[in-house]
Amino acid sequence: MAWVRSPRAARLLSWGCFLAAWQVAVPLLPTDLLPTPSAVAAFMVAELRRDTLAPHTVYASFGLSFQRLGVGLFLAFAAGVPLGLLMGLRRWAEDFLHDFAVAGLAMPSLAWALVAGMWFGFGDLAPVVTVTLAAVPFVVINVAEGARNVPADLLQMSTAYRVGRTAVIRHVILPALMPFFFAALRYGLANAWKGLVLAEVWASTEGAGWVIKFWYDAHRSQGIVGYALFFVLVALLIERVVFGRLSRWVFRWRPARQHDSPDGAGPVTAGASGRA
Amino acid sequence: MAGVRVRELRKEFPGGDPPVVAIEDISFTVDGQEFVSVVGPSGCGKSTLLNILSGIDTATRGQVDITQNGRPARLGYVFQSARLLPWRSVLDNLLFVQPARGPADRERCRRYLDMVRLGHTAGQYPGQLSGGMQQRVGIARAFSIEPDLLLMDEPFSHLDAITARSLRRELHDLWQETRKTVLFVTHDVSEAVELSTRILMLAPGGRLVADLPVRLPFPRDPAADEVALARADLLRRFESLDLLAG
Repeated sequence: MAWVRSPRAARLLSWGCFLAAWQVAVPLLPTDLLPTPSAVAAFMVAELRRDTLAPHTVYASFGLSFQRLGVGLFLAFAAGVPLGLLMGLRRWAEDFLHDFAVAGLAMPSLAWALVAGMWFGFGDLAPVVTVTLAAVPFVVINVAEGARNVPADLLQMSTAYRVGRTAVIRHVILPALMPFFFAALRYGLANAWKGLVLAEVWASTEGAGWVIKFWYDAHRSQGIVGYALFFVLVALLIERVVFGRLSRWVFRWRPARQHDSPDGAGPVTAGASGRA
Repeated sequence: MAGVRVRELRKEFPGGDPPVVAIEDISFTVDGQEFVSVVGPSGCGKSTLLNILSGIDTATRGQVDITQNGRPARLGYVFQSARLLPWRSVLDNLLFVQPARGPADRERCRRYLDMVRLGHTAGQYPGQLSGGMQQRVGIARAFSIEPDLLLMDEPFSHLDAITARSLRRELHDLWQETRKTVLFVTHDVSEAVELSTRILMLAPGGRLVADLPVRLPFPRDPAADEVALARADLLRRFESLDLLAG
């Protein structure tokens, strides 16, 4: 059993055992509401081949959801970065906004999805607003933390050398904020992604979240599980490929260190998981 | 070469009652090709003085004029720690402080990196260099803007004795070659005697207690008798003023 000691082999074995147990157990259960892994896999392959009963293909549904996510995140950054900078640099702004930002972090994205659905009805607006509201507290809190942590010694050095304001913003302040932007994007995205699914379930007639509800209404459990897995796979893809590569490039100056955690102070990640 | 005129300079830090006095009404002038060390025990206002001269801090009252032929002088500053931008390459760190950042500036930056024997690190990031190498980049950065006045704040105090000694020699050679006006803050009397043409002694409370020329020929061997005598004489002066106890 020495080969099990390899971490990769142990991990593969654990997944193999889980899938095998799932496959064997399902036919023994007195219900047809739990799909076997092979049924889920067959469903997912068919969806990827555009062979679907849903009104839109998986590509069209996720494409639309990405558009809503992109617009919502853009708005979250457009509003959150100035507010965060203000909070980080001005004491009165910190006192004024702090409680709301923290309350925003604690707010379940389910609540935003329901409220936005009630306000804006069916369409694009409710999912976009949900994404924005779910992400903006992460942006505000992280950017504020970043603004407080711009190294004072480098700002003093720039003053002593009479370096212009534009160059200081570009070469000192923005690079110092970068780890905090990353944290804001990563955890804001994680929270917004969950909010988006809920908003599409409640307040949309298309998009990847809505398709989960479609399969629920159609009583197809493999559709629900399969689409949930698509969501997980897409999130993993964004995390590993997009964030992984981007962060390696942006933080290439850090030799052999964690690539997205700033020195001295940690980005704010509280509440990023397990809340939907 | 710059002219530095400091008149009745005072710096108080509010908060205490009475406020803490960091610099107490000091006046001095520095001219031409001088290498002036400001020596004193920790907490006597040496770094505060440099911060005021460089514009990082402001004085409570008094006057500071740093001019070069009637125009404001260009300042270079070497800090205790190198204060390099960790996310920019070594060469970009030098370019960052250049007023224009054109091809001529790039060429000059490379030349000063070569002068501190770090030309080969131009494309590396500061995190890839040792502490001593980073401090040499800080020195090259200060020289690369071809300053009229060079301010140095205990630049070798964080380094091991061997590296510090080698950097002192390198600094002396650069100074001999360029003959910039230098204001060098240190708490190390030996370092001041080895490098300076003149020494300003500061006492706790920011009082200027002596202004002494150092008339020894260069290069100065720290182990040579005349250097050791000058060092002992300076230490005796500090002791007679009962300053080190403060």
